[in-house]
Amino acid sequence: MKILVAVKQVAFLDDEFEMRDDGRDVDADFFEKDLNEFDHFSVEEAMLIKEAAGDAAEVVIAIIGDEDADDALRTALAKGADRGIRVWDEALADADGVAVARVLAKVVEREKPDMVFTGAQSADFGSAVTGMALAGLLGWPHTAVVCNLDYAPGAGTATIRRELEGGLEEIMTIRCPAVLSIQLGINQPRYASLRGIKQAKQKPVDELSLDDLGLSAAEVVPAARVRRMYAPERGKAELITGSAAEQAARLAEIIKELRGM
Amino acid sequence: MANTGSAYDILFTPIKIGPKTLKNRFYQVPHCIGAGTNYPGFQMAHRGLKAEGGWGAINTEQCSIHPECDDSLRITARIWDEGDMRNLRPMVDHIHQHGALAGCELFYGGPHAPGLETRTISRGPNQYNSDFATVPGCPGFTYNHMADEDEIDRLQQHYVNAALRARDTGYDIVDVYGAHAYGPMQWLNPYYNTRTDKYGGSFENRARFWIETLERIRKAVGNDVALVTRCSIDTLYGDAGVEVGEDGLKFIELASPYLDMWNVNIGDITEWGEDAGPSRFYRIGHQNEWIRHIKQATNKPVVAVGRYYDPEKMLEVINTGVVDIIGAARPSIADPFMPNKIREGRFEDIRTCIGCNVCISRWEMGGVPFICTQNATAGEEYRRGWHPEKFEPAKSDKDVLVVGAGPAGSECARVLMERGYTVHLVDARDKIGGYVNDVATLPGLGEWGYHRDYREIQLNKLVKKNKQSQIALGQKRMTADDVLNYGAARVVIATGAHWSPIGLNHRTQKPIPGADASLPHVLTPEQVFEGKKPVGKRVMIINYDPYYMAPSLAEKFARAGHEVTIASVGGVGAYMEYTLEGPNTHRMLHELDITILGETGCSRIEPGRVELFSIYGEGSKRQYKGSGQLPRKENDSHHWHECDTVILITSRRSNDSLFRELKARKSEWAKNGIDNVFVIGDAEAPRIIADATFDGHRLAREIEDESPQHQKPFKREQKVWGVAYNPGENPELEWRL
Repeated sequence: MKILVAVKQVAFLDDEFEMRDDGRDVDADFFEKDLNEFDHFSVEEAMLIKEAAGDAAEVVIAIIGDEDADDALRTALAKGADRGIRVWDEALADADGVAVARVLAKVVEREKPDMVFTGAQSADFGSAVTGMALAGLLGWPHTAVVCNLDYAPGAGTATIRRELEGGLEEIMTIRCPAVLSIQLGINQPRYASLRGIKQAKQKPVDELSLDDLGLSAAEVVPAARVRRMYAPERGKAELITGSAAEQAARLAEIIKELRGM
Repeated sequence: MANTGSAYDILFTPIKIGPKTLKNRFYQVPHCIGAGTNYPGFQMAHRGLKAEGGWGAINTEQCSIHPECDDSLRITARIWDEGDMRNLRPMVDHIHQHGALAGCELFYGGPHAPGLETRTISRGPNQYNSDFATVPGCPGFTYNHMADEDEIDRLQQHYVNAALRARDTGYDIVDVYGAHAYGPMQWLNPYYNTRTDKYGGSFENRARFWIETLERIRKAVGNDVALVTRCSIDTLYGDAGVEVGEDGLKFIELASPYLDMWNVNIGDITEWGEDAGPSRFYRIGHQNEWIRHIKQATNKPVVAVGRYYDPEKMLEVINTGVVDIIGAARPSIADPFMPNKIREGRFEDIRTCIGCNVCISRWEMGGVPFICTQNATAGEEYRRGWHPEKFEPAKSDKDVLVVGAGPAGSECARVLMERGYTVHLVDARDKIGGYVNDVATLPGLGEWGYHRDYREIQLNKLVKKNKQSQIALGQKRMTADDVLNYGAARVVIATGAHWSPIGLNHRTQKPIPGADASLPHVLTPEQVFEGKKPVGKRVMIINYDPYYMAPSLAEKFARAGHEVTIASVGGVGAYMEYTLEGPNTHRMLHELDITILGETGCSRIEPGRVELFSIYGEGSKRQYKGSGQLPRKENDSHHWHECDTVILITSRRSNDSLFRELKARKSEWAKNGIDNVFVIGDAEAPRIIADATFDGHRLAREIEDESPQHQKPFKREQKVWGVAYNPGENPELEWRL
């Protein structure tokens, strides 16, 4: 019995940042990178199933990214997952959700898990497409934004609860294996202990290339391309200084400006 | 520095103070620290550090000009002789090294300084006894002697001689201390001065002593030093004293030609909490309704205080012409590097003064060095070598689990992370701060939450610098098994303390019969904070605690419409006399019709009533009556008092069960990779927030030392036997025969 959890290392912006010269992304110097918040919940859900099964289930973490992404992978391993798979090729540098799903599909073929979890979305781009595309490529059932999961390892079906608009909830049964996109709040993710962090450093991680998975660079060309990324102009704040009279004068000026007088 | 186009430039624009130039607008006004002249290293390091942190000028505390002004047991500086000059000089030199100005506040207390060491009698305009508790708790204890013209001349010469010694010590500024009802203020203030000669009566006559003193000092020191005077421009008792609209502004106008800068405030010494306002009652800039008038009466620069910690407020008071220079005492203690942090735009790194006045409490109780709730390094600069912004790098790669993110745990984790250790901080609450989260919800104590906020901000920044470190909040309480299995090389237990739910107290060291907070009508403070138990109309607070909990909870419930009684064995909020919160706390209790039963203990609690007794009800006569017999009569003052809800503010006890169990399982440490387990803060012994914070800080600094659980000895500043204090003195015993 095996659960594959696909995770992502996402980028957070510093308070102040600059754009890359090509204007298509933020300069990486202004990123802080970490494990996607949603993935803490999908890893936890896998760990809960593993622990309920008396550790009979294996939890494998898959990530796509260069050496930098090891941090996020080890963060997931530190919570108790058994091993990791990291796939990287320069051709994946601009991979979108669909391209990532193509890679993950090959990983799934190789690993043959009983269940695949992804986060409901990534915190940085929020496309929520990887899980869906992966299920499509595999021909597996998929459920998005899973809020509750009742699944015994090896069972043919799982029972899932989802929150819908207007406070409605939906309970559904899904055939396994399946791809489930896990929503925030489904559980309370654990923090890694220092022992977990130390052990994670020793856990096996398969580093795979596209070649290893039988994929060519042409097969992971993104279906979409970012043309431009920019911060739209917003309303400005101004600190008005000076004596009361000077401040009042400046304030009147601003009001006149805004009213077009 | 100026003209960088920043809105804050004005704070970094130099300004002339007579012959001297203040490099920016940050001025550490004189404030006591407990160093005086007897702890020259402490004095040097604490003040010098502020120069390093960007303050433009740093003053001594009140510095007595002559043995006739002896403020002991409160610790003040002295500039009586060459010995004192030698001991003050390191401060001056250290300040100068960082390009700041050094100031000396010339202090003559009159009868507000009790002369307990020198046994001298001070001189004043009339004879009166001090309204200040010169001996803590004893106002009215100390008298002065009415000066005649010979004595006036002598006293003014004391000021001149002290100013010359200050100059020769290297000070750039001398400040003639006339605030807080000290020195020349007693001559200006008709409350004290009822003379009928040329030094009393009319405003001009009452101002004469002060003006002459300034003139004589100027004549002696010339332009070698900048001459400042610290003046209370309103003593806050209407026309019985100095009012800003009358004598206050008139004096500013009259004296301005004689000096280079004004250092102004309000109030007197008896209630100097009206100046050093605790956050419980006063916000930032609280004196400005009075201070804002000063600049219209003078063309000299004006500095004033108001617990300025917020750069926006500083800009506002300078830009709107309230003051020219930001004066600060408490904010400079909480963060000696505030000016540099503002200049660098690091506002979120400012360790904001919470206005608890624990610093002041140490001066008020007398005889001890000061401490700061926010800044654990205050007062520890010299003796322990603690720099508030710089840390010794980690000496090992041993990681640390800190259990509990209250004052001790969060400070310990912060300093360990600053040093570069991998730290995991775990707490059951959703927020860093532990007990402070509760305390900051008490009436008037919201700003105490700054203690938590500083650590929360710093920890969240630090944890990003080390991916191996972690802050885990909202976690289930850790068991000994959890800790043993955690994988940490070192464990710090900072699990805090709790108020006794059974009424354990210092007078019996036993529970109060019937006190049981598992019953619906009995609450501990923690249960009040939880807010789950209903509280009846008539609230009885059983108080055995000397600090803020009883008056705070009384206020909380009285404001919510309850009828509140406090039965208290000691003075309600007794310690708050030292933090200067006392007078307004008592006014508040009176205003809210809170009944106080003093000298009252509690012997039994039942539903609907408590049995109270006078703690002095057992008779004054003591006699031996044999074993098993009390030496006094049975206390016969017991009586029942009806109430609906009882709140137990008795003793606190450490939450130390996790630590005790880990110690009991010491044999399992090694196989789990644990080198050591420490207990800090309230979990070791309940204490005030400042001391819990200190303890966390101390362990983090000393964690590689021998026996880190126990404090490393510090460098002591003691007189050395056989060494003369002044040149030409014989240190040996010399009988005068």
